[in-house]
Amino acid sequence: MSKAKVAFFDFTSCEGCQIELTNYGDAAFLELLNHIEIVEFREAMSEKAAKYDIACIEGSFSREADRKRLEDIRSRAGIVIAYGACASTGGINALKNHQKDYHDCVYQKDAKMPHLASDKALPISAAIKVDYSVYGCPMDKYEFVRIVSHLLHGKTPVIPNYPVCMECKRNETICRYDSNDHCMGQVARAGCNAKCPSDGIPCEACRGFVDQPNESALKKVLMERAHFSEERAQNKSRMFTANLRSDSK
Amino acid sequence: MNLYFIKSKDFNGFVKSLIESKKVIGPKAKKHKFVFERIESAEDLRLDYDVTILPPKKEFFPTTQKLVEFKDNQYNGCIAPEEKILFGVHFYDVKAIDMTDHLFRDKNADWNYLANREAATIVASNVQKVSDRAFFGSVGTEVKAKGHDAFLTKIKDGYLYEAITTKGEALVKFGHFEKGTDAHKREADEMNCAVMKKCPESLKHSSEEIADKVRKTFSNKEVWENAAHDCFSCGSCNVVCPTCYCFDVQDDWNIDQTSGLRSRYWDACLSEDFAKISLGAGATENFREHSADRFRHRIMRKASYLNDKLAGPACVGCGRCSSACTADIADPTKVINKIMELR
Repeated sequence: MSKAKVAFFDFTSCEGCQIELTNYGDAAFLELLNHIEIVEFREAMSEKAAKYDIACIEGSFSREADRKRLEDIRSRAGIVIAYGACASTGGINALKNHQKDYHDCVYQKDAKMPHLASDKALPISAAIKVDYSVYGCPMDKYEFVRIVSHLLHGKTPVIPNYPVCMECKRNETICRYDSNDHCMGQVARAGCNAKCPSDGIPCEACRGFVDQPNESALKKVLMERAHFSEERAQNKSRMFTANLRSDSK
Repeated sequence: MNLYFIKSKDFNGFVKSLIESKKVIGPKAKKHKFVFERIESAEDLRLDYDVTILPPKKEFFPTTQKLVEFKDNQYNGCIAPEEKILFGVHFYDVKAIDMTDHLFRDKNADWNYLANREAATIVASNVQKVSDRAFFGSVGTEVKAKGHDAFLTKIKDGYLYEAITTKGEALVKFGHFEKGTDAHKREADEMNCAVMKKCPESLKHSSEEIADKVRKTFSNKEVWENAAHDCFSCGSCNVVCPTCYCFDVQDDWNIDQTSGLRSRYWDACLSEDFAKISLGAGATENFREHSADRFRHRIMRKASYLNDKLAGPACVGCGRCSSACTADIADPTKVINKIMELR
């Protein structure tokens, strides 16, 4: 089998998901390079390519001016993977979408500088067709390799559409609610092996919601079992899932 | 069946010599909860546990279980049973293991489960502390615990050890046991009877009455939509259930892209994609599309559908689902008692 050409691109993001891939370790990463050829990867090389079998795009679509570049990548790529939370759901960038005064709060006297202007932070699927998503902040390098492996073999990768709770239970992790804490594992897409709750940290749904999140039940449980105020319970899921909330549609 | 008695002061010595020569899995503390895990020292064994997060079936049917390893066109099954002792299993989990034994043996025998099961010795123990949501005293009381090799009951001054099978008998040599007496047996029976009345929750009707009424409620949309209103479809109730046995199978390639592994994972019929099936050519259909359909399915499976096959309900009253449900809607006693009140 000839090597699949893979390219990486970034938009509104911290580029941490690209760095996360290099954390896969020398041996595993070099083994992977026996099966894929990386043809564009700003974090690691300066070469460019005309065509790619798989384009991995990190970052959210937050400026209309970026649409053209996204469309260009799409036209050169066989498969487009939304790479990481920002690209697949808008990620943490979408936390600003319901606010008006963040420029003044963050940049103060520089708030009106033109390069700081941006639109709503959206997933790249708002601009181009996306074939697969690697969710998470950062994305899970093992899941990425699993998805790429499936694609190399012409198979459809299976990405969980069940919540993080199921992984906590399989791991026998003590429920955050049983430790007088809160959690969003009930509505969060699994696939991370519920790392945060196993370390005693509530799930923030960085992988986005499952397809049918029960938002009203989440609010109720946050209020009744975690003793959140109504406002806090209502706003809780804005951090990583602002674009997936029913009030954003 | 032979009766043996061991004094309290000799009990840890028994456990110690067992764990020195065998792999022993038993209830251990995990912060304020309990889990079945390898017992490394006699002090780790917490027979005073109320209930464990996951049921002990995970020892035969791991949450993730390797099925087949493959390389190029070669493949090998992964059945590799290991002898172990499951020590301190409560009677309700013994009942559940007997059910999964039956279900995995039925029609196509599942040796990935059965090989592990047959390599195990089960030492049951009496419930010393009843969990907050238990209702084992009122569910499927016609179904007796069976399939275990020995039963241990903490009585005054020591433990009565009832050796039921030769596997159970074989463990007696590890401790300073003396012959158990009829008086010991009476005392143990009284303890085990008394605990049945200590559950905080209960069903109010017989298994047949419940199976019949629940089944007849199938088409009552309002009942199921109300019951499932706050359901997250998270599957926690399934995953902690000792009688649930559904799994999903997935293949993964190793990084070399020529070898890999086929595994199975515990699945949950409450999850949205469980009943999603392929119609071919990329089309799919979900035959339990709404959370109310899935909620109803679980209650039907536990209270009615499997009753003929198992000679009783596929629920043992451990209460794990009730406490695992963050929205607190999964409790079978609440759902069923409400249905039984319908006119």
